[in-house]
Amino acid sequence: MMSLKTTNLIETVKNQYFFKLKANIDSFSSLVGIQILAILFSLGGVGSSGMGGAEISVNVKHYSSDMIFVFTLIWSFITAVTITTRPYRNHDFSFVSNRLSSSLSNILFLGTASLLGGVTCILSGNLVEIIANVFLNQQVYSLTGGASHIILGIMITFFYLFLFSAIGYLVGTLVQVSKLFVIVLPVLFIGLLFLEASTSREPFLSNLFQFFAMEPNISLFIVKMVLTSVALFTVSLSILNRLEVRR
Amino acid sequence: MNVIECKDLEKLYFRKRVLNNLSFSIEENKITGLIGRNGAGKTTLLKIIAGYIKETNGDINVFSERPFNSLNVSVNSIFVDDHMSFPPALQLGEILEEAGRFYPNWNAKLAKRLFDYFRFDEKGYHNRLSKGKTSTFNMIIGLASRCPLTIFDEPTTGMDEAVRKDFYRALLKDYIAYPRTIIISSHHVNEIEDLLEDVLLIHDGKKLLHLPIGELKEWAIAIKGDSETVVKFIEGKEVLYKNEVGVNTMYVVVKQDSPGSLKEKAHLAGVEVVSVPSSDLFVYLTTDAKGGIDDVFKNN
Repeated sequence: MMSLKTTNLIETVKNQYFFKLKANIDSFSSLVGIQILAILFSLGGVGSSGMGGAEISVNVKHYSSDMIFVFTLIWSFITAVTITTRPYRNHDFSFVSNRLSSSLSNILFLGTASLLGGVTCILSGNLVEIIANVFLNQQVYSLTGGASHIILGIMITFFYLFLFSAIGYLVGTLVQVSKLFVIVLPVLFIGLLFLEASTSREPFLSNLFQFFAMEPNISLFIVKMVLTSVALFTVSLSILNRLEVRR
Repeated sequence: MNVIECKDLEKLYFRKRVLNNLSFSIEENKITGLIGRNGAGKTTLLKIIAGYIKETNGDINVFSERPFNSLNVSVNSIFVDDHMSFPPALQLGEILEEAGRFYPNWNAKLAKRLFDYFRFDEKGYHNRLSKGKTSTFNMIIGLASRCPLTIFDEPTTGMDEAVRKDFYRALLKDYIAYPRTIIISSHHVNEIEDLLEDVLLIHDGKKLLHLPIGELKEWAIAIKGDSETVVKFIEGKEVLYKNEVGVNTMYVVVKQDSPGSLKEKAHLAGVEVVSVPSSDLFVYLTTDAKGGIDDVFKNN
């Protein structure tokens, strides 16, 4: 007689996490692609100012990883949406899985992707400066303040990317429930933008932006980010937990 | 011990009743054939057992647990069909490795030997395989995972004759070496008949028959003879199929209430007794209009 095996959630999630690192390798190559593109765009400088007198003219160009950051944000959003789609969920169920383990391993994967995105994003900011200096013959005055600055940058970028993953995961999940959300969500978002521009009531979106992007206290910032991400993932998880696969 | 217990199972898809009051149980280490016409609800039933989809009403227990979202059911069972999907980034060899990561009973040696026997390329990709090759590859995963509950849903789709025969033989050999509960759904009843111990026949989401294959052979008999004698003989008996074959000759399939009960009587009445091929019997049982496709053209 064949004896039954038992497994637990942690074991399964661990297996699925390593499986996904391999299976979703394409998302890392698209990260590289999108960041190279962003670096090329950044080489023109993200802003410039100039002044001059009779004898002298000074032109200051700003190089930063802002553009790369925005591109990476979009990438993490799209990656999260992608892994909620039907083929990706089906891959899980070809092997051992339930809906909870599938989502938990997805979240771990998105966390890893965010970390990697954060590191590469900050480092490619430095790369832009180097390229500007070496190949474009620009005199560079770097404003970055050493290792602690870089680590702080990576950390903050990580939290933003993770938040965008959480948003993307929820959006993807809603679309899996009903394709109507493909229309409803953009309409809602753009509609809100117009509404805020045209009426004089309390602006919801800019308050939201202020809440997340303008927080000067680092620990408060982390708390906000983590709580919001957890809340978003929990909502997605409870929706996905009831969804049938391969029907 | 019953591996699967199913009571009053019901499944609705957009108000269409796909499974209807289905109750049965499947014992451990038996090979059961799930037979039914297209759209009878075979795949739906198997997907509920595998925990892919949710039952609407009724109870389903696999290894004494509800399969939907159960990790223990997932680790002890595998569902193999031609829609099994794997990440396109993984090569075939890597997929086998990953399967080994998940299934505790995974037999890598068996997988590798079957893989080489069917001439797969380790560097190949799953989505570039032909239909028959896809089924063959999925079958390898199904066999090598050695799950206590192994479900094959139309496993031979696209396979050529030689591969189909190899598959049945491989399945039987590995079953003997490593007994487990196996459910196979297939349209090729005569091909898998020798493999099966039990048969579960469903039609329109309902259970028609669930019995050992030996009893099935005695379940009905066919008689052939001149029409008058035959008509007299079948009076009061349950007729499953009736057809005129040639001048004044009739071929009728009737249900036997108990094994062998009709054979003697038929001999005495002077009609010829022939056994009914199981595949024909299933067709008769699941054809709603007696007379079949011929009836469609008769009134023209």
